[in-house]
Amino acid sequence: MYRPLAILLLALPLAAQAQPAAGARHGRAVAAAGRARIPGGSYLPLYDRGAGRVTVRPFALDRVPVTRGDFLAFVTANPEWRRDHVKPVLADRGYLADWPGALDAGRGDDLRRPVVQVSWFAARAYCAWRGGRLPTTDEWELAAAAGRTARDASRDPAEQRRRLELYGRPRPDPLPPVGGTPPNAYGVRDLHGVVWEWTRDFHSVLVAGDSRATGARDVALTCAAGAVGATDPRNYPAFLRYALRGGLDARATLGSLGFRCAAS
Amino acid sequence: MLRSALVRLLAPPPHPRRVATIGALLGLLLVLCLPTGCREAAGAAAPRDRVVAAVPPAAGSPVADVAADRGSLHDLGLRFRDATGAERELASVGGPVRVVAMVYTSCAHTCPLVVAEMKRLEAALPAAEHARVGFVLVSLDPARDGPAQLAAFAAHAALDPARWTLLTGGEDDVLTLAAALGVRYRAGADGEIAHSNLLTVLDARGRIAHQQQGLGDGAATRAAVERLLD
Repeated sequence: MYRPLAILLLALPLAAQAQPAAGARHGRAVAAAGRARIPGGSYLPLYDRGAGRVTVRPFALDRVPVTRGDFLAFVTANPEWRRDHVKPVLADRGYLADWPGALDAGRGDDLRRPVVQVSWFAARAYCAWRGGRLPTTDEWELAAAAGRTARDASRDPAEQRRRLELYGRPRPDPLPPVGGTPPNAYGVRDLHGVVWEWTRDFHSVLVAGDSRATGARDVALTCAAGAVGATDPRNYPAFLRYALRGGLDARATLGSLGFRCAAS
Repeated sequence: MLRSALVRLLAPPPHPRRVATIGALLGLLLVLCLPTGCREAAGAAAPRDRVVAAVPPAAGSPVADVAADRGSLHDLGLRFRDATGAERELASVGGPVRVVAMVYTSCAHTCPLVVAEMKRLEAALPAAEHARVGFVLVSLDPARDGPAQLAAFAAHAALDPARWTLLTGGEDDVLTLAAALGVRYRAGADGEIAHSNLLTVLDARGRIAHQQQGLGDGAATRAAVERLLD
């Protein structure tokens, strides 16, 4: 029941930063740059949960998405996560299917491209292996609200225009190496315009049958009320992210869905 | 209609950005509405049964084959505590067929309805089959639902301990089980937890044989249980 929604959304032009050359140049250095400290703060979720702004405690977030090279090291060290060994409850058949081989993630730039076609279970296991965890949706959205200089640029018209443009571009094939977009105010890159990203509680978005069956609690996410109930109806990229999360299941692997890790 | 929604989303902006944004928003709403059905949203909460497969199994075909592709929940390695405080894995919880739902004991709204739905299913089973079907409630609120709360809830709801297992566990295990089942939930500011009303039928090997979204008509769920018992 979620699959058609997810497929439709992925048919949308997914954003991409068209700077492969710059990305290739910076990729290695940026990937080594580790995590940025996010001092915490508050943000207004797209859907108000009755408490207004949501407070997020300080945390650390990877500066760039996890790369194929990073993930190759993980599956090499943890063979149970190889695509030919993984248990079917943990990932669907698309898991790492875009790699040339079970322990071959490609050559050169390929190793610096964001890893995609990974399930939520796999992403979570990778982050645990690296001594971290997936960011919560609130953490991710707080970090992603930052512009180049402002920590909360979500209401900045110029930033909104820039994001609309990013999210409106077709996704390049192959994906550009990570680190190709400029850092935001926290020094984090690629939150917008490269790949969608898993969050720890992606399944905290209640849509469709769920909300109807639950009563009226989440009616704001269905149909026309989806825009009416939103705290900022102009935030089209946020609609896309919430709709995507609402359409995913934990085994899903998509060619435009990667992740990054966080730590408390 | 799907095509028109996509065309709308993919089309280049006919006018300035504001128009494009509005168009895209309308398109997104169309996409959101189409697969889920606004018509139902306007009416009563219609139950949704789904067999976990692209094609429902023909009568008499083994449900196990359908479930095989999604793997076994037993492989998740989750650990819980039951109402007696004993450590339990999913594989050790009665059955062989299990009907599983995720609820929480302080839930005032739909959780009692979920439990009532499961009790109707229990009552509809022939007495001879009672020993072969387990009913499992897993708490979405492990911080407040300790074994004692689970025991009190089971007593209050008159759940037969021979057939019903109530589980609580670490936050991570609960989150993982919810993700694996497709249960969506979120804690609200008021201490309540908004969540899917999802009944899942597990076969003896921990594979999802059937899921019922919503409440009201458990006929297909009952049929799925009976297929597994045959």
